[in-house]
Amino acid sequence: MISLYFPFVLSLSKDSERVHRLGARLLVALLLSLLLVPPLRAATPADIDDRTREIATELRCVVCQNLSVADSPSEMAQQMRAIVREQVQAGKTRDEINAFFVSKYGDWVLLRPKTTGFSALLWILPYVALGLGFLAALWFIRRWTKKGTPTAIPENDNQAQRDALRQEFSLPDIEDDSERAQLLRGRERVREELNELEFDFQSGKLSESDYNALQREIEAKGVSLLQQLGALPLAPEVKPQVMKTKEAKNPAAHSRFKLWQMVSGGVFLMLFGLSLGVMLTKSIRPRQGEGDTMTGGFMTGTPAVSSEAGAALAEGKQAFERQEYPKAIEAFKKVLSADAGHPEAHSYMGFILMQAGHGDGAMLAFDKALARAPNFPMALWGKGMVLYQDKKDFPGARAIFERLLALVPPGEERNEIAKVLAEISASGGATQPVKNAAPATGQSISGTISIDAKLKAQLNGNAALFIIARPAGGAGGPPLAVKKIDKPSFPLQYTLSQENVMMQGTPFTGKINLTARLDKDGNPTTRGAGDMTGEYKKNPAEVGAKNADIVIDQLTQ
Amino acid sequence: MPVRRLIITLLIIAPLLALLAYGFTRDAKYIKSPLLAKPATPFNVMLYDGKKVTLEDFRGKAVFLNFWASWCEPCRAEAKDLEAAWQKVKDKDMIFLGVALQDLDDNAKAFLQEYQITYPNGRDEAGKIGVDYGTWGIPESFFIDPQGRITYKHVGGIRAALVLTKLEEAAKGIASAQEGRGDYQGVR
Repeated sequence: MISLYFPFVLSLSKDSERVHRLGARLLVALLLSLLLVPPLRAATPADIDDRTREIATELRCVVCQNLSVADSPSEMAQQMRAIVREQVQAGKTRDEINAFFVSKYGDWVLLRPKTTGFSALLWILPYVALGLGFLAALWFIRRWTKKGTPTAIPENDNQAQRDALRQEFSLPDIEDDSERAQLLRGRERVREELNELEFDFQSGKLSESDYNALQREIEAKGVSLLQQLGALPLAPEVKPQVMKTKEAKNPAAHSRFKLWQMVSGGVFLMLFGLSLGVMLTKSIRPRQGEGDTMTGGFMTGTPAVSSEAGAALAEGKQAFERQEYPKAIEAFKKVLSADAGHPEAHSYMGFILMQAGHGDGAMLAFDKALARAPNFPMALWGKGMVLYQDKKDFPGARAIFERLLALVPPGEERNEIAKVLAEISASGGATQPVKNAAPATGQSISGTISIDAKLKAQLNGNAALFIIARPAGGAGGPPLAVKKIDKPSFPLQYTLSQENVMMQGTPFTGKINLTARLDKDGNPTTRGAGDMTGEYKKNPAEVGAKNADIVIDQLTQ
Repeated sequence: MPVRRLIITLLIIAPLLALLAYGFTRDAKYIKSPLLAKPATPFNVMLYDGKKVTLEDFRGKAVFLNFWASWCEPCRAEAKDLEAAWQKVKDKDMIFLGVALQDLDDNAKAFLQEYQITYPNGRDEAGKIGVDYGTWGIPESFFIDPQGRITYKHVGGIRAALVLTKLEEAAKGIASAQEGRGDYQGVR
């Protein structure tokens, strides 16, 4: 890159020192840009989930009211989420995914409108409105405060000052017998007399000459009273008024003070409004179901419970209790489609996989649960049991159970954990724990599994073989029996018997459809390109048959 | 002074009133489709009779594509009209294809039987076709010309007469500038 810049730099200046300096700068810029580039690594499922959610949050659920694709429990939103996920997995960027949905639904589908073109107005107008509102508020407050400012009293105008002060005086207390109080009461009487005189004259009780004579007499009395009142020293009550007038002497300081008050008031109101708006939108949400609250997230940290997911979880647990595993699997899958990291659903899935003898799958499920909630007791228990019973990893199992023991309060569960720990210690790793598998009794089916010559070259060394038996004529659902063989070599002799049935107590008899799946990554929970499948060509087979041979001849693209 | 005040007030209020009036003329639920006059996205549909069809199979014919569900009342309202329209064009170079969205197979098949629908119908298993065609409600109908271009979109129930008119336009490659909306009439 520097070599590309170099001739250009040379042409800029012949000064070699300057060229060196520029070169050094370019080198630093290049190194910085390299540092800023995120390290390349393969996207993990958790990354994909996060990215999917991030993008789905900005897309509108087209059948909902103001819900994002990420938040909506609707089937349409689920389908849209699946498409987002697919495109994320395919390595598409956020802009490309957004552009895909915009090409189908228009800009409307974006919850965050574009910042270009006409949509830019949506981003600009609120700030313009905020600014205008602020200016309008400032203008109104200024107007109101101007109206409320006391009239400045001219300096050195004692008479006017006194008149103004007198206007402020109300009638003194009746018990006040000071000279000022007596004079004020006298002034009030004079005013009343003048009013009465005016009334009598207007009503025709007095002649004009009498009226004029009486008016002069009362006015003279009033003037005398006012002169006496004016000669008195100022009363202490008027001090605040005097202060006001002093303040009025410096209008610039007064105006600065008012401006400061207005600005701080405006800023306070704006901040209050903004925080209230943010708080309300972040902390209040519509209740999603009976188990959900309207507060959460920002305020209490409780995540929203989707009513559908909540119901599915309850349904799954009930089915698990009744040992109806197919139903339970369906329900937990539903929960996981709404919340991919749900620790309880993953834990239950782990127990079901464990029950079916899929230690690896169970381990994966418990690990997923622990990735979200590292101290989730159910997942810890499950992982410990897999390590202890399936993997025979006694130190690993002991570490997990000891961790669990520290979390669980005294009681029956704690005693159970302590019992398992004692069992592990007693065995010391020397004895093999007894598996809970049913003894291999009753009928079985056997045969040879081979792989098509064309597919043999594509065989993965880490692949796991699943031999699956489903009831003939069944309407889907989980298999009757499954056997897993890690890193198989072909041709392979197999036998499926009672010990391979998925649901304890189900008899391994009757007609079955036999298939085999060679899972590329050995993980039963993932299916994808590169997996190979085959079936018994004469399906259905009768349990008890000896030559139920299967040829793996299909490659999943 | 009062005149100035009046002008300022009007200048502030008039645009807001104009915006409000414009808002009243718009249907908040109306979403202008960006798909009109654009190439229709290819798809595969598994029909209820077990066959599999693709959009490519219909190249050279005018296609009426209808998204529906058995639980949707307007779909029931339009079902007889669609079958009637199909009976009129089935011998021409025109194709009707129904795609059920978010429906159970048994319910969908019962629906087809109840309204004696004879044109091909299948299901959108993964919901991708619905998203590819920008559907946000059911029923929605699309008219595709023989070159595979969407000429018209109709949201809501549609009548036989409009189906035939728009299908004729599609056959000639005439694209409408705007999508249409149906009036819902319950039949149950």
